[in-house]
Amino acid sequence: MAIRELKVCLLGDTGVGKSSIVCRFVQDHFDHNISPTIGASFLTKTVPCGNELHKFLIWDTAGQERFHSLAPMYYRGSAAAVVVYDITKLDSFQTLKKWVKELKEHGPEDIVVAIAGNKNDLGDIREVPMKEAKEFAESIAAIFIETSARNAVNVEELFQKISKQIPPLENPEVESNDSFKLTRQPAPSARRCC
Amino acid sequence: MEPNRRPPVTESVPLEENTLRDQAPADAVPDTNTQPESPGQEESGAGCSPSSDPPLGLMDRSSSFFKLIGTFALELGELKKEMVHAPATVDKTPMDLQMMETEVSGIYLHPPDCGGVEKDSGYDSLRRRMSVLDRLTLTHPVWLLLPLSEEEARHVLLKQPPGVFLVHRSAALQRKVLSVRTKEDQAETPVSHFPIRESQYTFSLEGSGISFADLFRLVAFYCISRDILAFTLKLPEAIASAKTQKELEEVAQLGAGFWDCALRTQRCTSPHLCRRLSRTLSPQRGNNHKGVEWLKPSPTKAQCDSAPPTLRPPAPPSSLHLERKHPRSPLCFLNPVFLQTHHHHHGCEDPSSTPAPKSDESLKSKEALPAKACGSGGEQHTDKIRLNGKARPPPPRPPRPRSMPHRRAAPPPPGPPAAPTGPSKMPEAASSAAKRQQVSGKRSGPARPPVSPKHSGLFNSGPSNKPASKPKDPDMEAQRCHIALDDETIAKALSCAKLPTCRAPPSVTADETPESFAGSPSSRNEKGRQRLSDMSMSTSSSDSLEYSQSPGYSLGLASSPPQHLHQNAVEDSSEDDEDGVEEEEEDYGVGLETDLEMRLRPAYKAQRLKLGVGLAGGSFVLPRALKGRFRKMSGMLRSLVTPEKRAVRRISELSRDKGSYFGSLVQDYNGFVQENRGCHTSGVDFLQTIRQFMTQMKAYLRQTSELDPPIESLIPEDQIDYVLEKAMHKCVLKPLKSVIEATLHDFQVSSGTWQQLRDNLAVAKTKLPQELGVDGAVPPDPMAIEKIRHKFLNMRKTYSPEKKVTLLLRVCKLIYTIMQDNSGRMYGADDFLPMLTYVVAQCDMPQLDTDIQYMMELLDPSLLQGEGGYYLTSAYGAMALIKNFQEEQAARVLSSETRNTLHQWHRRRTAQRAVPSVDDFQNYLRVALQDQETGCTAKTLLVHPYTTTEEVCSLCAYKFKIPDPENYALFLVTKDTSQQLAPDTHPQLIKAEIHSRPDAHTFHFVYRRIPNLNLCIPTVVQNGNCVLGMETLN
Repeated sequence: MAIRELKVCLLGDTGVGKSSIVCRFVQDHFDHNISPTIGASFLTKTVPCGNELHKFLIWDTAGQERFHSLAPMYYRGSAAAVVVYDITKLDSFQTLKKWVKELKEHGPEDIVVAIAGNKNDLGDIREVPMKEAKEFAESIAAIFIETSARNAVNVEELFQKISKQIPPLENPEVESNDSFKLTRQPAPSARRCC
Repeated sequence: MEPNRRPPVTESVPLEENTLRDQAPADAVPDTNTQPESPGQEESGAGCSPSSDPPLGLMDRSSSFFKLIGTFALELGELKKEMVHAPATVDKTPMDLQMMETEVSGIYLHPPDCGGVEKDSGYDSLRRRMSVLDRLTLTHPVWLLLPLSEEEARHVLLKQPPGVFLVHRSAALQRKVLSVRTKEDQAETPVSHFPIRESQYTFSLEGSGISFADLFRLVAFYCISRDILAFTLKLPEAIASAKTQKELEEVAQLGAGFWDCALRTQRCTSPHLCRRLSRTLSPQRGNNHKGVEWLKPSPTKAQCDSAPPTLRPPAPPSSLHLERKHPRSPLCFLNPVFLQTHHHHHGCEDPSSTPAPKSDESLKSKEALPAKACGSGGEQHTDKIRLNGKARPPPPRPPRPRSMPHRRAAPPPPGPPAAPTGPSKMPEAASSAAKRQQVSGKRSGPARPPVSPKHSGLFNSGPSNKPASKPKDPDMEAQRCHIALDDETIAKALSCAKLPTCRAPPSVTADETPESFAGSPSSRNEKGRQRLSDMSMSTSSSDSLEYSQSPGYSLGLASSPPQHLHQNAVEDSSEDDEDGVEEEEEDYGVGLETDLEMRLRPAYKAQRLKLGVGLAGGSFVLPRALKGRFRKMSGMLRSLVTPEKRAVRRISELSRDKGSYFGSLVQDYNGFVQENRGCHTSGVDFLQTIRQFMTQMKAYLRQTSELDPPIESLIPEDQIDYVLEKAMHKCVLKPLKSVIEATLHDFQVSSGTWQQLRDNLAVAKTKLPQELGVDGAVPPDPMAIEKIRHKFLNMRKTYSPEKKVTLLLRVCKLIYTIMQDNSGRMYGADDFLPMLTYVVAQCDMPQLDTDIQYMMELLDPSLLQGEGGYYLTSAYGAMALIKNFQEEQAARVLSSETRNTLHQWHRRRTAQRAVPSVDDFQNYLRVALQDQETGCTAKTLLVHPYTTTEEVCSLCAYKFKIPDPENYALFLVTKDTSQQLAPDTHPQLIKAEIHSRPDAHTFHFVYRRIPNLNLCIPTVVQNGNCVLGMETLN
């Protein structure tokens, strides 16, 4: 099976549990073959997906406002972005929307966006209704899932969903003979007209 | 292994021992080649003798290897015990040692056939100097014919006796294939093909469990043992019977043309005849294609045609070959200034000149003695050219074989003498290296002090018993060990094999004796360890043979240039103690340090040595007096050099050889950079040109014939890029490091960044961790900061971006360790990045900024996504935050800056295609006019992003003065495809899109006549603003 390395970047306010989700994801099935990493802000995990193995290279980002300007360096080249908010903090959901917007504008084309509402074990102090978040996710064609890193709920599923959304590697031979594919060209004609 | 081959070996051992010991001195005198071999020889000798003992009985076809392993292990254990006390007495009784060594080498070196029967022929003493491996390595242009098709290979082999073989690359399988002439009565097909499997660091035949470090070893092995083959491979008679390197070189000169000559050669069995033949051939050396022509009438002519190696003139100044080989070599795109420089140096290489004149040139320049047999032949000329164009060119033969002793000994400039790539070709290397020991640095391969008697225990422990200290990085390390084992496998096999060629008797000089003696146990220890850490099946089979090291083989490896070692040592020593300890683990098995290192860091070295020994099972303090022995042993240790190192060394050797094309390019470029460092707009720009140069050189090295043997024969394909990258760091970054640093610094100073950075650092340094966003985690105390500072300083000293990143990772790891101290918490980026910022501020090292820049721009782009890339990004971010610390709109400044960086990264990811040329700049588009009559002419047009293809077409029609523009269209041409662009598409946007692809290929916009048979199928692409037609070229 071919191993595909997929860069995944984690975005979201500080304290929403970005790294907890990844730690949960990576550590739950601790793989002794994984070389120990330097620290939890960069972790990797390999999962099978169809005929391929997806090796997630997970880039965590610092959520504090002052580091926002660095984000492009982190999401550059990502196959997927997991934007995390805390269901008990409405603010974090607002921040999430900003991230989504930025990704759409400056992120890599075809980036798979996943929205994760973390801390769903704290449902009783929830501030962000699931419905609202879900609708938002649908409106931007993003993956949506509520997770609990603490209770290991839906963490695995989150990454499985991402895996499924990653288009399988095209056969290079087919590709080269195929017509030139231009995806999601910004609509310049419109701008030109104006 | 065929059982029947072994017994003779065993018997003959004792005999040989005596005979050879007597011979040794005599041999040593006339032939310098052999001298250096002794270190390797003893080692192998020691290993071999046990193996050739009783176990042979065990050998049956089915399980020979595994049984052998066990036996060898046992035998070795015993041998070890014997050897153990020897080191202890080394100082007192050098004579004993010497004698012992002599015996050992004697034993080892003389396979039976050399000794007894064949001895009477006066040529034996000569013949036995070359192992099968030597012969194969020297003559690879003959049998390693990658461009040959299966059919062609079959043709060639049909005329050969059974067992004769070729290696070529099958287009269908996309693999190298070993094609063997089978025995007529045995097989349905006269020629069998065995695909070669290449996995990490190893080569093996499909279906076989035995793998090898390179192709030469693989083939050599199958010359001796059939394994999965129906019978062993057979060297063509001319190669098998050649008595000197020179003869082999002459054979090699023939390249593929050899196969035509081989018909004649076969008939000549007596050494005399053979020799004469090879002499006859030698004049053609200067003039290979003549040889081919001479062959032309022969039935195999067809193969010759398709085998470019034959066709090119052999040993012309290598630069002459280039253009022919690389009609579209990226080098042509290099900076014009650079090109000029280059041309200056090599007037003869005119990229535009056609191959034909060139060959003439080379003809003239050569002695061009037409052998009488050669007949006449200008006719083949055109063929030759064509072939050269399409297939991999033959490696140019250097005027002097790399392996020639005097070349080795040639006064090494500040740079080290080149290292031989081939095994056992550089006997001299070991000894000369030994003599130059003062400089000798670090071990090149894993090796351990030859001490503890308890070692022997290890050998019996089997693979399941893991050594106490495993290499830190199991994957890589295991692989490397694996290689070493494979090497030995071959060596062993060779030494025991019944071959027409035998090993030279050991030439023992007093000087070398102790060294060799010391060396052999140590390396054996090492092997034991390697074996334990090795789990692959192929390894275990190779293990069975590992202990006998063929002298020739180990010598070849031993040829590492002292300077290289020196450099390693320096690099190492730049690490602080903690790093050093880590290093020790990583290098585990390499505990034996060489003299230089010891002198550099006496205490530390001692510590390391002690550690190594301790691991080996006993605590042992290295007696000072032994130091000399160890020093001498370094030659030995070098015999464990991995193919990777050999390849890197070979390339850097080539890069210093101004006579080679590659060397002159690199030298010129380095000179150019030094003289013109001011002509860049920014530090990043400057670094990117260097990065691009390295990327291009890598591309060149992949296809060049100047690397001899070709890199594909040494390094599995998936590793080639990594090895080339490493080599380029050494060839380019190492010499340029200080210039680069100074240049970057100048840019910083002149732009004011430096001052700003210093000011801001000073302010940032006064901030508390909390003020920088640290929340909760424990910040490093001043002592820890000092330690980190020290690590950063060390990072600065190395030239390799990869190594720098490794050191950066250590810093990050340390920060994490401190943060997590006592709390079991896992910290993510929310905590880490502020802490890193705090640490960077506390370290107060403005020069760190350029170092980060250096890494960001020069690191192999493929590494940017991994952990190194992550922490490098974080370091860059932390630095950027500090740089803009005082600015109110730090965020905004940073944004544009980081975006800019992103953009540049994109560019670099596509660097493979070419140096940035004017057409990379935004509003320009380079369009080529393709015309049946005039070929291609290109113009750079001003094309704005939203200019449509239609508009570009009319612009082209105007610029190129096309009378019938309606018949022309704009095409996007990539490597394999050509697509007509629909009138309403936007060429600039298409260009941008392609550039932004991670896997961007070379592409061109071509304005040309629409083919009559236009299969254009317009396709609407996604948002509809790009309608592309597509048709396939050809």
